Amino acid sequence: MEAVKPSFWDKLSVEQIKIELMRTAYGHANTFLSRFDPRVLVIWYAFFAIAPWFIFNKTVLLGMLALMVVLTYTSRVSTLVLVILAVGLVSDVGYMLFVSFFFGGSLDAIWSLSTLTLKLLVISLASIAVFASMDPEKFSDAMLSLGMPAQFSFGISYGYRMLPILIEEYNNLIYSYRLRGRTPRNKGLLKWRYLVYMGKITVIAFYPLILNTAKRTRTTVEALEVKGFTYAMTSSQAKKLKLAYLRIERHDYLFIAVSVLFVAALFTLGRIFPL
Amino acid sequence: MLSRNEMTSSQKLMVFILAMSLYGISNMFTELIPSVKLGFIELKVEYFMFVPLTLAILFNPLYAALGASFGEVIFGELLLGQFGGLGEVEKFIEFSLAVYIAGLLVSNPSNRRQLALAAYVAIGIDQLLSVIVDIAKVGFGIEDLEAVPGLPESIFVIEGVNFLNTMIVSGTLFTLLPTLYLVPRLYGKIEPLLGMKPRETRVKASFGEFASPRLMLLSILFILIAGTAEFMSEADINFAVWEPEFVEQYGNGVVWASIGAAALVLVATLIFSIRRSARKATHARKL
Amino acid sequence: MNLNQQEPIIEIHGLTFRYPGATDDVLRDVSLTIARGDFIAIAGGNGSGKSTLCKCLNGLIPNYYVGDFSGSLLINGAPAHEQTVSSLSRQVAYVFQDFENQLVRPSVYDEACFAPLNYGYADYRERGERALQLLGLTHLRDKWIWELSGGQKHMVALAGALSLDPDVIVVDEPVAQLDPFHARLIYDKLRILNEVHGKTIIVIEHHTEFIAEYGNTMLLMDRGRIRWVKPVREALNAISELGELHIEPPQVTEAFHRLRERTTPTTQDSPASSRPLYPVTLAQAADWLDDLSLGKDRYQPDHSNSGDDVSSRDKQTHELPQEADSRSGRQPLVRFEQVTYGYKDMARTTAPVLRGVNLTLYEGDRIALIGNNGAGKSTLMRLISGIRKPQQGRVTVCGQITRAVSPEELSDDVAFIFQNPEEMFIEDSIRKDVEYFLKARRIPDYEAFIEDIMVRFRLKELEQRDGRLMSGGQQRRATLAIGLAMRPKIMLLDEPTASLDLASRREMTELLDRLQDRVQTVIVATHDMQLVADWANRVIVMHNGQVALDTDGRTVFECAPLLEQAGLIPPQIVRLSHMAGISPVCLTVEELVARLIERSCKEETAIGSC
Repeated sequence: MEAVKPSFWDKLSVEQIKIELMRTAYGHANTFLSRFDPRVLVIWYAFFAIAPWFIFNKTVLLGMLALMVVLTYTSRVSTLVLVILAVGLVSDVGYMLFVSFFFGGSLDAIWSLSTLTLKLLVISLASIAVFASMDPEKFSDAMLSLGMPAQFSFGISYGYRMLPILIEEYNNLIYSYRLRGRTPRNKGLLKWRYLVYMGKITVIAFYPLILNTAKRTRTTVEALEVKGFTYAMTSSQAKKLKLAYLRIERHDYLFIAVSVLFVAALFTLGRIFPL
Repeated sequence: MLSRNEMTSSQKLMVFILAMSLYGISNMFTELIPSVKLGFIELKVEYFMFVPLTLAILFNPLYAALGASFGEVIFGELLLGQFGGLGEVEKFIEFSLAVYIAGLLVSNPSNRRQLALAAYVAIGIDQLLSVIVDIAKVGFGIEDLEAVPGLPESIFVIEGVNFLNTMIVSGTLFTLLPTLYLVPRLYGKIEPLLGMKPRETRVKASFGEFASPRLMLLSILFILIAGTAEFMSEADINFAVWEPEFVEQYGNGVVWASIGAAALVLVATLIFSIRRSARKATHARKL
Repeated sequence: MNLNQQEPIIEIHGLTFRYPGATDDVLRDVSLTIARGDFIAIAGGNGSGKSTLCKCLNGLIPNYYVGDFSGSLLINGAPAHEQTVSSLSRQVAYVFQDFENQLVRPSVYDEACFAPLNYGYADYRERGERALQLLGLTHLRDKWIWELSGGQKHMVALAGALSLDPDVIVVDEPVAQLDPFHARLIYDKLRILNEVHGKTIIVIEHHTEFIAEYGNTMLLMDRGRIRWVKPVREALNAISELGELHIEPPQVTEAFHRLRERTTPTTQDSPASSRPLYPVTLAQAADWLDDLSLGKDRYQPDHSNSGDDVSSRDKQTHELPQEADSRSGRQPLVRFEQVTYGYKDMARTTAPVLRGVNLTLYEGDRIALIGNNGAGKSTLMRLISGIRKPQQGRVTVCGQITRAVSPEELSDDVAFIFQNPEEMFIEDSIRKDVEYFLKARRIPDYEAFIEDIMVRFRLKELEQRDGRLMSGGQQRRATLAIGLAMRPKIMLLDEPTASLDLASRREMTELLDRLQDRVQTVIVATHDMQLVADWANRVIVMHNGQVALDTDGRTVFECAPLLEQAGLIPPQIVRLSHMAGISPVCLTVEELVARLIERSCKEETAIGSC
């Protein structure tokens, strides 16, 4: 636990958060999927996130999985993410299987469960492939264009702006508690006293944090008013200007066409060789 | 009706941004807290539900709920490159609904019993909905679940245990206690910082408000949307050509969530309405 | 600009306003006309209604804050209450005092384009670019807001306001949140906007030195009313009236006022109109030195020359064996040995903040830690408090090696007062905040001690209030009380006088003075050179992560090039003594006046004997 403590606080350090933010903002350059219009990608993703639920043909699912594996590969997702995903999925299914034995289940359930696992895999990989190839700003523009309220896309920019500030403030507040308070001398069995103490200050530090953030928010909203944010919410002009750069071009249509053909081929294949 | 705070649009925006930033931060935080896994039971801090709940109680519950849910998606997922797509939408709806309803329940922020009730209602609704969705997912994902011996029971046990676990750990330690600590302290103090008047203590029964026609309407609307979605999917309509706005905003999982939520809300609304009319009935007429 | 100088851009008649739910009017019967192309400074104490008045100008009042509003307000000839915030804010731009929270976009360029985009200008990109260019910010275009320094952020906030090409620019207390060097940069830009681009500039300001140098007209507010509007020089000569409202005139004005009072006592009784106006800027002071035939180097308005030869002499003192050695009789409390510290940056490499620092701090030291942003001041303090551990080298605090102990344990000896007081208020009342440390440690019978502190820091009547709801000066006082209640040996303060008005700054300096009998050493990181001059007995200049100079308050101000490099501007009185050729420099007005009188007597006797 002692080893966990510093790394835990380190993760929450401002510098670390900034690095993480930069990475999500700039880490999407030039993957295969990043070339396409974000709206096309969102809709494309929506299909692959929903359709598997209605498909029980393993051949089709396997074909989709193959597509996702390739696309995920081109998105240069870190292997760690994939390993975590795999372990999570396998253990979830494993537990289900394990518990089912107590109710008279058998290993036959594996076959049924594998359909579910396949579906979940396709869906998860689709989201990893797409969202790892799209920076948050682009995603928010796509959503704005598809009719999401402006608050959402504002929230994303605002998040970039405020996250380091808020984390720093929270960190300092925690230090105020730590430096002026008293950590339990006797840490107790498995350090439970220490954990309870830390748990307590992480929660009560929200009291000053909420008040301080409220103060900030007031200026921010006044500034938003002055800068015409509320005005823009009622006029469509700003939205049009902002989204003028989004354009569906030939390669986007090509991408859609190829995807449709691929899925159609899969269904045909699935009918001929059902698994 | 719902205009208990009668806020201007800028004030609503303030509440929205406040809830978004604060819950966003807390969400990043809870994701970093290591969890202890004992088999399929995971001992972990699910979320700091108290943050949006406190704001929902003190201010406009709708904007606090929406802000918090956005905060989770934006701060906790998108900005850190962990956006999960439609799964987030499902969480979004469950969570907003839970916070919103719990926030509405409290008529007097200094009343500890109401606060306690709100805390458990919030976490209860959220967890119940997510359990329903999870079970529905398995039920839907496996063609003939009933035919596989042991599996349905297994799913119910796992989900049930996790539900209880979350209710106890996240519900008591990270919702009930912090809410009881924070709300009375912040009430009357945070409002001037935002340039608002503290909300008035409502003397009228809040359950009347809870069972307001508008909410009933809302739940009926949910059922309708959910039903339509179900119908369309059953009818095997291709999703790619089907109204994309709808698909990307409300995924399939959400269909189930909405059905569950809407049904729950409707039932609750009905119960309270009946009780109210029952109370009225004692005055004169028959039930 | 002189052509339409007289044409009014803002006309206010009988304006009265009260915030919703408040019991008092913030503005009472305010009438005012502001001419197009004016550069006007609004001064007044806390709660005098300055900010409220400015919020009326861009329509936040009464369109956003729906309070009790009466009277009329014309902007560009059109009544404000008939317009929306959005149409008014295109004419009147506003830079908030709390400008950090005004920046709502992640990057500089994005921020500059945000307002024109919202208002649907098709050329929003060009507008943003133009605003950045106007302020010389083009090189920062692609930076993230959080990569910027405070001064740069303020500039970006101004750029955001400028992008709408407003006629009027209102800036709320630029000096309060910035160090003088950056405040000067902002003012230089405002001057260009005023003189070259014909913008009407309104600043809320109580730093009279800036009003004198940049302003044209000064408006004095007092409890919601306008006391007067006068040309700046005349206004700043109303010394006693300003004093009543806790506004200090520029040090040059003060100096010549006192000088005249001493040398020709009769003028005290004669009406102010009969005497010539005192100088309010250094440039004007040069003439006065000339007239009084007191100035030696008076024809050098640019003091950098005189600074150079001072510094060459000064280098010697600086290279003398460390003065610290003479302190060897005293107890060393903190020792840095070859300390290196850095932060990880994007590329996962470590950017050094401190590089091989060696430093010993002794009992009785009153240390001012100065240097520009990023020089390593805050890191140095964090290392002492144990919040950060050195990556290389060793920090020893009160005999403990910081790497081996937790910050909690170190806090028995070290109190760290954060820059932002609000991060120190963790309880719901000041009293509880002050008690927190002793209570947590279950120290018995602390009440009397706490009571004494509350009285000492004049917090008794405020003790039940939440720190966040107090004024800036009260907040600083409270944090100092919190620190002292920890009964530390070492006290660290990060920018204790930032964003305070002059009266509160003075109070803070006095309180710091009185800490000495309870705390063994006090270390203050600051940009406030007046505080350095008034309080410190040891000054450490940090530059590029190293100790560039370690000396006393007087010597440090003679090192003009080094100060310049670190972006530090000495107090006006120091610059005045440079100008008058007085060395070693004077640190207070009183000192300078005495020296000038002394010297003039000498000269007179010299002339007389000839």
